[in-house]
Amino acid sequence: MPIINFGGLLNFAEAMEKQDMEFYLSIASNPEMSDLSDLFQGFAKDGKKNIAHIQRTRRENITEMILEGITGFFRKPFVLEVKDDKEMGRAQILKYVDKMEARAIAYYTEGAEKIKALPEVSMALKVAGKKRMAHTQKLSGS
Amino acid sequence: MALPIMKNYINGEWVESNGSQIGNIKNPATAEQIAQVVFGTADDVEKAVQAAQKAFVQWRETPPLTRARYLFRIKDALEENFEDIARTLTMEQGKIIDEARAEIRRMIENVEHATGVTTLMCGYTLEDIAKGIDCTGHRQPMGVFAGVAPYNFPGMVPWWFLPYAIVTGNTYVLKPSEQVPMTQTRIFECLDEVGLPDGVVNMVHGSKDVVNAILDHRDIQGVSFVGSTPTARYIYKRCGETGKRVQALGGAKNIVGIMPDAKLNEALPSLVTSFFGCSGQRCLAGSILAPVGDAADLVVDRFVATAKNIKVGDGLSDFTGMGPMASSAHLDRVLGYIEKGIKEGATLVLDGRDCKVEGYPEGYFVGPTIFDNVTPEMTIAKEEIFGPVVCVVRCKTLDEVIKLINTRDFANAACLYTDSGTAARKFKYKVLPSMVGINIGIAAPMSFFPFGGAGNSMFGDIKGHGQEIFHFFTDTKVVIERWF
Repeated sequence: MPIINFGGLLNFAEAMEKQDMEFYLSIASNPEMSDLSDLFQGFAKDGKKNIAHIQRTRRENITEMILEGITGFFRKPFVLEVKDDKEMGRAQILKYVDKMEARAIAYYTEGAEKIKALPEVSMALKVAGKKRMAHTQKLSGS
Repeated sequence: MALPIMKNYINGEWVESNGSQIGNIKNPATAEQIAQVVFGTADDVEKAVQAAQKAFVQWRETPPLTRARYLFRIKDALEENFEDIARTLTMEQGKIIDEARAEIRRMIENVEHATGVTTLMCGYTLEDIAKGIDCTGHRQPMGVFAGVAPYNFPGMVPWWFLPYAIVTGNTYVLKPSEQVPMTQTRIFECLDEVGLPDGVVNMVHGSKDVVNAILDHRDIQGVSFVGSTPTARYIYKRCGETGKRVQALGGAKNIVGIMPDAKLNEALPSLVTSFFGCSGQRCLAGSILAPVGDAADLVVDRFVATAKNIKVGDGLSDFTGMGPMASSAHLDRVLGYIEKGIKEGATLVLDGRDCKVEGYPEGYFVGPTIFDNVTPEMTIAKEEIFGPVVCVVRCKTLDEVIKLINTRDFANAACLYTDSGTAARKFKYKVLPSMVGINIGIAAPMSFFPFGGAGNSMFGDIKGHGQEIFHFFTDTKVVIERWF
């Protein structure tokens, strides 16, 4: 399904952040990952902040003058199956975390480009993406 | 499960009307009944006005900055409930969720603008108008004001007026559209939480009886109205008879001209939004597309191709580009105009009549519809359709476009797409409508500029919001002073 408008773009970002936040909260309390619990708690907190940021962006930057459609932007490459960490081993979890971060960065990068006619929204997506980039750095350093 | 029943809000309480007529509120995407409203009576209006009169005594003495602080609290409450209000609006009115969000944003912007009361309500002074005599003009609130709102913008339109009325020290009685009363009810729930003094804002649901009671009430100082031209004219006349201030905004027949030098790639998305946004149910929607000269074929072809791709459906879905008509009666009206266009000989190049939406067999849907070769005399080129029906009137010159605009019965908005400053200047200088867009398809003034048309699109002299609205809600008392 294509993402065709402002609301669709931000709604997908919100849903993605929620999905990722829930996974991070779950693995933060997973005994298998106890050494990384603080890191994942932090990621979940970032997710909460990104959700608030996206919701505020959606509320504050919409007017009927900018309801022009978005073209050539599709959900499919960014859809990630919801996983239960209880059924995964440590290596699988870490691999999935990498996937989550990679898709979020890709989504925010492409989304920011697609909505660049609205600089504030484009910037908001870039800011959210930056947080996710910082995650990948932290993961590689952990 | 019992359906929610919309109640009146009078003197800080949710109260049931003593009326006997009940209206059924339906979701236009599904035709499912989602709420009921009891139509109020003159007695309900009387109670609301009495409460507002009583509240006025102390409210007018409340410092403007304190009144503005209530608005800050209202803004916070509206932001907090933003998504919920937007979803309620889409459910009862049908417009897509982004359009509902945009509407609530515009509504909140009026609250924000009204908080500038300490600057915008100031009077003026001149010393020594004669030797030793000074003159001061004070802006004073007047008492109880009332608003009568339309069905197409149930969230925003009442707030073109209400925040300005109360921040200047007046009190208010609002009648939302009986067709879409849920949005304002949800908004008034937010107001209730804010804790405005009882009686400062009141809401009475209902239909013509409530409107007439407002128009006839001796203690109402002024009325703001947005709706159709015949009703606007009626309200203007009745308010004149009963000595009220009035601002009555009526219908439209907006024309969008496209010059051969227009940047079509850039223009197309906003053009399509202009004609099909809110399913054409807005007073700023484009209604007539007037391409100029040789470019007309290309403009029409590309416009039709883009319009064909608009996905019609339930406004709550992220995948919908255009929602249904707000009611089944309005759907019939729009379909009637399409039939009329065919009978009068216009060429139907995109037919939205048989619009089927999977999973929504009962919805009030009509798809994007485009008539080509429309002539200025045809009914569809003269009357307000208020739906996603585009009339293409091909013009040879810019002068012809301007003539077309200035010979309609309405003068609300007009837009021109061009790359020429000369053409743009001529256009904005000569057209009669008072909301003009240049390379903008919806010339919607924001809260800090006045909203309203000319001619039969607006009765009264002070428009909605902007700086002038502070004049509508205040009387300038002139004090001439000398001290011996």
